[in-house]
Amino acid sequence: QTTLTVASLMGPDRPESKVWERIGEIVDDKLPGAFSFNVVPNAALGAEKEVAQAAKLGSVQASLSTISLMSSWVPEAQIFDLPFLFRDSEHLIAATKSKVGDDIKAKLADQGFIVPAFIDYGARQLLTKTPISAPGPLKGMNMRVIQSPLHMELWSNYGANPTGIPIVEAYNALQTGVVDCMDLTKSAYVSFKLYEVVPYMTETAHIRAAGVVYFAQPFWATLNDEQKQVLGEAAVEGAAYFNELVRADEDTAMATAAEAGAEVIQPTDMEAWVAGAKPVWTSMADTVGGMDRIDAIRELS
Amino acid sequence: MSLTLDQGVPEGLAWRAGRVLDVASAWLSAIAALVLAGLMVLVVSGFVLRYAFSSSIMGAEAAGIWLNVAIVGLGAPLALNSTLAMRLDVFQRLLPRHVRLGADMVAEAMTLLSGLVIAHGSYTVTRIVGGTNAGLGLPEWIPFALFALGGGLVVLFTVLKLIADGRIATLVVALALAAFAFWLAGSGIRIETGLPKSLILGLIVVVGLVVAAPLPHAFIAGAFLVVPFGSPLPEPAILNSAVSGIMKFLLLAIPFFLLTGTLLARSGVATRLIEFAGALVGHMRGGLAQTTLLTNVFFSGASGSSIASAAFGAATFQPELERHGYPPAKAGAIIAATSVLDNVIPPSIAFLILAMATNLSVGQLLVGGLWGGLVMAVALFVVIRLTCRDAPVSAPAAGGTRWRLALRAVPAFGLGLIVVFGIRLGLVTTTEAAAMAALYTFGLSVWFGVGARGLVAAFRQSATEAAAIALLIASAAPFAFLLAVDDISGLIGDLAAFFGQGPVAALLVSAIILFLVGLVLDIGAAILLFGPLLLPIATAAGIDPIVFGVIMVVNLMIGGLTPPFGVLVFVVGGVTGVPTAHLFRAVLPHVAGLTVALFAISLFALVWAAIA
Ligand code: NA
Ligand code: NA
Repeated sequence: QTTLTVASLMGPDRPESKVWERIGEIVDDKLPGAFSFNVVPNAALGAEKEVAQAAKLGSVQASLSTISLMSSWVPEAQIFDLPFLFRDSEHLIAATKSKVGDDIKAKLADQGFIVPAFIDYGARQLLTKTPISAPGPLKGMNMRVIQSPLHMELWSNYGANPTGIPIVEAYNALQTGVVDCMDLTKSAYVSFKLYEVVPYMTETAHIRAAGVVYFAQPFWATLNDEQKQVLGEAAVEGAAYFNELVRADEDTAMATAAEAGAEVIQPTDMEAWVAGAKPVWTSMADTVGGMDRIDAIRELS
Repeated sequence: MSLTLDQGVPEGLAWRAGRVLDVASAWLSAIAALVLAGLMVLVVSGFVLRYAFSSSIMGAEAAGIWLNVAIVGLGAPLALNSTLAMRLDVFQRLLPRHVRLGADMVAEAMTLLSGLVIAHGSYTVTRIVGGTNAGLGLPEWIPFALFALGGGLVVLFTVLKLIADGRIATLVVALALAAFAFWLAGSGIRIETGLPKSLILGLIVVVGLVVAAPLPHAFIAGAFLVVPFGSPLPEPAILNSAVSGIMKFLLLAIPFFLLTGTLLARSGVATRLIEFAGALVGHMRGGLAQTTLLTNVFFSGASGSSIASAAFGAATFQPELERHGYPPAKAGAIIAATSVLDNVIPPSIAFLILAMATNLSVGQLLVGGLWGGLVMAVALFVVIRLTCRDAPVSAPAAGGTRWRLALRAVPAFGLGLIVVFGIRLGLVTTTEAAAMAALYTFGLSVWFGVGARGLVAAFRQSATEAAAIALLIASAAPFAFLLAVDDISGLIGDLAAFFGQGPVAALLVSAIILFLVGLVLDIGAAILLFGPLLLPIATAAGIDPIVFGVIMVVNLMIGGLTPPFGVLVFVVGGVTGVPTAHLFRAVLPHVAGLTVALFAISLFALVWAAIA
């Protein structure tokens, strides 16, 4: 029996860990006793980047990763992180299954990450202390953002001052007014109890946090064709299950937030929101494979 | 045979090796000092840009992290011969002479093997890892190359030191052992034992401790030696784990806290704290001991390192205490025990490491630490009251004098305020606060006339100490990886369940584990390995995670005073020359007092858990 060390960044009851339970079950159904999945939760094997590097170096056999991390190896992957490019989750999934998705999978494989399927961690939403529906009031606000050129540029375009603060200190920084707003997925909004300090969520869904299910190349190379097929198909099924779990988790999370007094606001003046995102597309176009590619994805149904 | 061989070194060769070692050390520490200065400027400018210009340097965080890895690479060989080499020499000194020689050979072989693995493994990572850092636009292999350099230098320095000491036989045998082990692990030979790999690693580390190998190198050599036993961590993955372990922005605060402590002493501001403390408590029974304690409380508010505080106290208070009739061991014990406070009262390196390992909020931990530290200070006050019967050093100071001395100590208090409120209010990140504190004490040092030579020396010393601490953090990471793969936290959970459900069982189990761990491991390594394992058990039992973090740090800090591995006693012994065995005995009443304090804090945690 081959034991896979699988790294999960979250607790055993979170989608990030449960997806591997499911994949393990499917694999065991088809190839009884061949593989055992040792899922190590709570980021005990390191943060996302460390885990991905460990996969290349042979100590981790499988994990999930966000697209932003993967773009350190394959910059083209950032196309799935472009703001206001995707209408909804279905649009994103369709894009990952298109030719663009296949191309990025091939490039990731060259870098040592075998990606049977993409996943959707849920959309990032704007979190503020006072209700905001159009981008205007962001001007001059201090905003906690991820330290990535794409994110920094987006919020600068709306006139906000992007500030890098570690996620565990974000609550404190919002409470004391060092920053006035931030953006995050719904699940994380609630798991960090941020509704206590930024009770207004504008459902901008500006960036769909996309990710991948990957197996490590050094491990993959030891498999025969049948095993590769079984693991690959299990991962595809697992990815669909993960997306379902995330949706359900978001609903539970938002119910909790609502109970605690959080308010969800629908964005208005979508033109102004998208106008702030367009320059990001332009500046990222060369990196992600050209404006044609962005347009092709936009027209995908 | 080797005894005679070991004496037969050509004197000229030994002398030349010694010279090369001195010159190389001087250069390395100068470069490391320069990198530390650059790091300070980088972090402070990040803060200035944010508030003055609402902008930031792209990739500043990554650049800072890489510079810190450079400091570790440069400082790793220097740490080998410092007080922070983390060699546990208690068992080794008990060994008969010829056995001791064998132990020395094994210890040096472990260091050589570790250096070899660091160099070769990191180099392998640079070839495989790939990827570009988004912030810097530079390849991600660069920090691994810096670390590889450190490994090579460790090998070089170990060889030179052995030649300089004339221990040629030790060198030859150690090199042969290291080469053999390196070949064996790479040969593909596999030994099946059925034991958890983390357990095998733990046993190898124990061997390393017994023969007095430097703890970080015992960890790295051990992680590598588990490979033939079927470790899930191949050589390059060991190095990925180790280097990733120190690539955290939060850890940049450590060199700054060390620098602050060193400069505080050099600038003479620490002396003002002593005068003020003396005016407040000098007239009491055991006045000088109480002054030492109160000065430590003040000093703790500005410095984050108990080691810095112990070194400062040993240099400053030991002669004074002895002059006032304290037996040397008792004086040293008071200094070692009071220096515990520095890592509990904020700022604190221990809490930084804990926050990093467990993702708890640093801001909240620091507040918890303040309360914990004050409880400990009260306990130490009582112990000193009961054990010191010497006459007061001074008549009660007049109110006016106290105010004047308080005013003179303001520069030091200002520092504590910057750090604690800056972090607590979230105005600055912990790392920025630490960098600003370092810059502030740098300014004070210049203001109070510390010369260029003294300033450079402070940077050199801090860079070397920071490298030693970071190297330990790095080397413990592969061990933590194996503990996680083997699901040791599940095992500990079962153990806790065996003692019963609820907060009392959880506290009891963690107290036992931390006590045992604290006997042999350094505080930093213990927090890294056991913080993430114990915290979930405590929180599941309803204990507040922050209070539990405080309990854990207090518990381990007490371990810094107990044999066989009591780092604070080692430092005081190293500076004062008092035998550590005497210090360990003299510090017992203080350990008892601190244990009572720990008990009180635990009781608070239980009451808190019951009402929350
Ligand atoms: Na402190
Ligand atoms: Na100890």
